[in-house]
Amino acid sequence: MSGWQAPWTAGGRPSWAAGLGTDLRLWWRRSTVRLAATAGLLGAACVAWSAAPPGRGGHAAPVLIVLAACCVAGGLGQLATAALVPPGPGAYPGPLARLGLWGLDWLRRAPWAEGVTLGALALEAFHPARPWHTAVLGVALIAYLLATHLAESAGGPGEAATVLRAQAPVLAAGLGLLVLAAASALLPSAGTGMAGGWLRAAAAVAAVLACALALPI
Amino acid sequence: MTVPLRWNLSRHARRLLTLAVAGLVIALVTRRPEFAGAAAPALLLLAGWRPGRPSHAQVTSGLTAGRIIEGERAAVTASLNGAAEYTAAVVLHPAHEIVPLPAAGQRPGYASGHRVTLPFLVERWGRRRVGTAEIVLRDRWRLAEGRAQIGLPSLECYPRPAIQRTRVVLNRLPQRLGEHSARAPGEGSEFAGVREYVPGDRQRSINWPATTRRGRLQVNTFQAERSQDVVILVDTAWDGDDARHHVVDIALRGAAAAARAYLDARDRVGFITYRYRARWLAPGHGQRHYYRIAEAMLTQDREWTQDPGFSRLPRQALPPGALILVFTPLMDPRLVETLRDLRQRGFGVLIVDVLNGEPSAGRGRAARLAQRIWRMEQQAIRFSLRELGIPVVHWDGEQSLDLSLAPFTRRAMVTRR
Repeated sequence: MSGWQAPWTAGGRPSWAAGLGTDLRLWWRRSTVRLAATAGLLGAACVAWSAAPPGRGGHAAPVLIVLAACCVAGGLGQLATAALVPPGPGAYPGPLARLGLWGLDWLRRAPWAEGVTLGALALEAFHPARPWHTAVLGVALIAYLLATHLAESAGGPGEAATVLRAQAPVLAAGLGLLVLAAASALLPSAGTGMAGGWLRAAAAVAAVLACALALPI
Repeated sequence: MTVPLRWNLSRHARRLLTLAVAGLVIALVTRRPEFAGAAAPALLLLAGWRPGRPSHAQVTSGLTAGRIIEGERAAVTASLNGAAEYTAAVVLHPAHEIVPLPAAGQRPGYASGHRVTLPFLVERWGRRRVGTAEIVLRDRWRLAEGRAQIGLPSLECYPRPAIQRTRVVLNRLPQRLGEHSARAPGEGSEFAGVREYVPGDRQRSINWPATTRRGRLQVNTFQAERSQDVVILVDTAWDGDDARHHVVDIALRGAAAAARAYLDARDRVGFITYRYRARWLAPGHGQRHYYRIAEAMLTQDREWTQDPGFSRLPRQALPPGALILVFTPLMDPRLVETLRDLRQRGFGVLIVDVLNGEPSAGRGRAARLAQRIWRMEQQAIRFSLRELGIPVVHWDGEQSLDLSLAPFTRRAMVTRR
């Protein structure tokens, strides 16, 4: 072994892979992939949270779960293909490539996040009243929508942090209202029967609307 | 440049609206106030909507380079004025053969900021439109998006020259001072031999060791140094059906390499493109002439005409005694006839065959037979040209051009009339 130079660096990594880890780490830190992965995980978590435990909802619930899961996958596909650049106007792609481009265009335009939101809320509504569970779903949904938006529009994590910092007071106020609404749902009903429930729901809606209109932004 | 802005509800706003409306409706329908709470953050974010927005923006855009060589990087620069309270992003919608590259940790073709640089790569030579740039303005709450489209200037992308370091030199060179060693004795730096001193010889050329050995004065003789005229002829009439290996691309890259190699040796280089008719550029020298040739490469004649055009080429286009270097797939019989005619007129012609592959044939016996006939025809064309004294060398476009030209660069190429 005296005259032979082992192709390993001091760190025990092959010489060809010396810069690979650093590059990958740098790319992971800078790119919006983290945001896209966060959005995908939050979407899946929203659907799983609102679907658990299975039970009520009859045949509609499994269908809704599948549709919501498809919307999560579609949203993730939308974010993953955001960096793909279709050929310019001078190109003449073949029929298969044109079909692929049409599919890509459809994937990018479809309202996947709206589908996830509606599906998760509908699945939550199938269950009996569980205010804190719904409150957590509300937080997860707003986080999912923000992560999706930042992944598709922010140039990098730095810009995402700036956007979130600017919206932080309003988000805090919204979360406060969410906690108040969930707590009010736990209070014993003032009236009896159907009228009491309606009153409580209408009061919560009115309070939220009033706050939205009155908040000096 | 002032560009009008189109303002619309953003996708984020639509999603927040979906969450808010769905939460409130479910809260009322199911009589569960916690759903109203779930809608609260979205609704508060939507409350940030403000109507007044600028209808126009001041944009300055340009390219970092107007002329580049295939595979080189260039960039679109854009700066936005008059919308400081909005966050701005620029999205590049590239035209054909333009590949956007990532800029400083951002995704390819996207950059955020009021002064941005979007790098891109041009994949193939030609006069290329870069595409369009879309400016996206977003308000603080990301509820409204203002968009504007701006056209980007075109650029000229010259073919990437292949590698050529050696040169084919004819045995007969014109009486013009240059860098190639000629057979004739002269005042060059290449040693030719030793001869006896005659009155009038320069004293500094006396070879003292030879003088000592022979006992009489001996002087060194040197070869003259001449330049030559080279005419590069590129056949762009046939391009094959292989999208990855265009015959025209290979021919132009070879021609660019040859032009550069001969111009570096201070030769005069002329250029002729053949696309059913000939377009020519008179021989010249210098770096500026290289760019003239490169620009001539971009000018493709798309008209079809019966006239091969070489008989009408003036003396300036084909100087007597010039070396004619032809880059062609030898697919056009009229060009083959023209090359024979040039040889018979006494020009030294060297053909670089850039045909790589065969036209796609169908299946079946008849197709195979047709392909065999085609191959034999091609072999016959090359054989007949060699018989006339026109050497044909093959070049695949990948390796150095020196390898293909090696048999003719080791010694001067002999042309017989």
